[in-house]
Amino acid sequence: MNGKAAQLAAIEESGWGVPFRFTQPHNLAFWVYLLGLGGGALAIVRYFGTSGFYAPALTGGVLLFALYLVPWLLLLRRQNRYTAQPGGLLAAGFAWGGVAATFWIALPANTALLEIWAKVGGTAFAGDWAAGLSAPITEEWGKALGLVLLIGLAPRLVRSAYDGFIIGAFIGLGFQVFEDVLYVYNGAAQTFGANQLGTSLQVFLVRGASGVVSHALFSAIFGAGLLWVLGRARGERRVVLGVLTMAMAMAFHFAWDDMTGLGGGGPLTVVLPFAIAAVELVALFAVLRRAARRERSWMRDLLGPEVDAGVVTPALLDAVSGLRKDREKFRKQVHSRRRSRHLLDAAGDLAREISRAGGTETARVAHARAELERLT
Amino acid sequence: MTDDWVPVEHRFAGLDRRTFKPALTALGVALVLIYGLPALDAAIPWHNEVEAGDVLDLGGGATAVPPVGWQLESGTLTGSAVTASPTTLQVTLATGGATIDLRGVPYTGSADAFLDQVERSEGDAPGVDAARGSVTTAAGLTGVVQAGTGPGGDALDVAFKVPQADTAPALLVRVRTAPDQFERHRDEVTAFLRSIAPGPAK
Repeated sequence: MNGKAAQLAAIEESGWGVPFRFTQPHNLAFWVYLLGLGGGALAIVRYFGTSGFYAPALTGGVLLFALYLVPWLLLLRRQNRYTAQPGGLLAAGFAWGGVAATFWIALPANTALLEIWAKVGGTAFAGDWAAGLSAPITEEWGKALGLVLLIGLAPRLVRSAYDGFIIGAFIGLGFQVFEDVLYVYNGAAQTFGANQLGTSLQVFLVRGASGVVSHALFSAIFGAGLLWVLGRARGERRVVLGVLTMAMAMAFHFAWDDMTGLGGGGPLTVVLPFAIAAVELVALFAVLRRAARRERSWMRDLLGPEVDAGVVTPALLDAVSGLRKDREKFRKQVHSRRRSRHLLDAAGDLAREISRAGGTETARVAHARAELERLT
Repeated sequence: MTDDWVPVEHRFAGLDRRTFKPALTALGVALVLIYGLPALDAAIPWHNEVEAGDVLDLGGGATAVPPVGWQLESGTLTGSAVTASPTTLQVTLATGGATIDLRGVPYTGSADAFLDQVERSEGDAPGVDAARGSVTTAAGLTGVVQAGTGPGGDALDVAFKVPQADTAPALLVRVRTAPDQFERHRDEVTAFLRSIAPGPAK
């Protein structure tokens, strides 16, 4: 396949440049998505509606976790590289995770399943294991349903395992932040409203710290696995790998929730959070690296003709379609962190404009190219 | 414009049939989680009956003797691998028409002030409250008791301040019965309250 043909194939396969349209009355996934969001919103009103007494804790929790969201969004924005997903699609994922998955699905499902474990195994068994045996099923699947619906809403945009990874992370982040606010409220209610601000700060510190390796991570891994199972991008169907990846996300969720049971209440309990977090982070980067392969090849195909034309240098192509080590190598070559970043951003702009134009020449493509040439 | 155009062979009731697979898959799984699990829970009966000799773990060495024959729905017995925490304690005992809930909370004030805090947090519920009294357990722990009755049934709240220097928890015992059922359980509730023993003072 020559450079131009490969470029056009990459645009078609990746769906890059296709805008995300949320309102789709002919699409049943749109109505199911709205049902989930409506059900979740109704549950939120019911849950917090009569909680005027706990307003200080609730307000403190909302403010603290809204601030907590900022570094997360900046981090995920940086990860949304290669054929980047539109903001509207990611926002829809976040909203599903926060409103529908948390309040419409997880709240009633967890309540029931926790009680089932206590009935089946006794209260001592439930105390040790019920949380870890419930949440990986109810919460991971509840969040993943958002990804399934977004595939229905944007079938051309949600293609690769990397798409599943990024959208999954946003769904998980939504779940995490809304669940954290719920924890703040429950913490205040548990103490009957004594020292509400102190309680909300305490929950913020504990949940905020553990949140680094929590829902966003689980759902990113689960989402990548689901897309490997579905195999929506050419050559990406890996059912066994996908199932194992989804199972790994659920196992991490289990280990995190049942740390006390796993540690047996002994000294291991102190070490376990750090050990589990380390394993989770290594697994996360391994999945990310594997999931990005298809996207990186699309990026190379998108910019291939620009390399042939001498606009993009091979070193810049390696960096913009590569991994961290490729970007670092490029930075050393150009002897400037700032210039390296600008060149990478400009090359990304050019790739995006080429995709939007469907591979044709437009004034915006010419402008993006001129900008890159200006910086080179 | 053409994005909205559904080819005639794919139309069903104004919808695009090609979108049914992801939508119905997601809806089906969601409904199983939301309604299927609670239905399964409702179908499974409790089999966690309190037997003679069982002792409830209230954390920090504190204990209570639950009424024989009631179902232990939440909480642990002494001797099990899991140990209860006095500041996050949640115990539920239930029998036909009555429940006993125990909640352990970190609280620095007195038992009386703790009961005030509980009442403030719950606002005004319809019903008639009796005057506050006191109750002393067999181990000498004194608590504040508030009885009440309303359209939903009878209620008894008892607050204790457990003398443990490191955690200083407050313990709330809440008894709820269906209307006119309290008398049936009075002896069991009284025996239960009298059995509450604080852990060793530190």
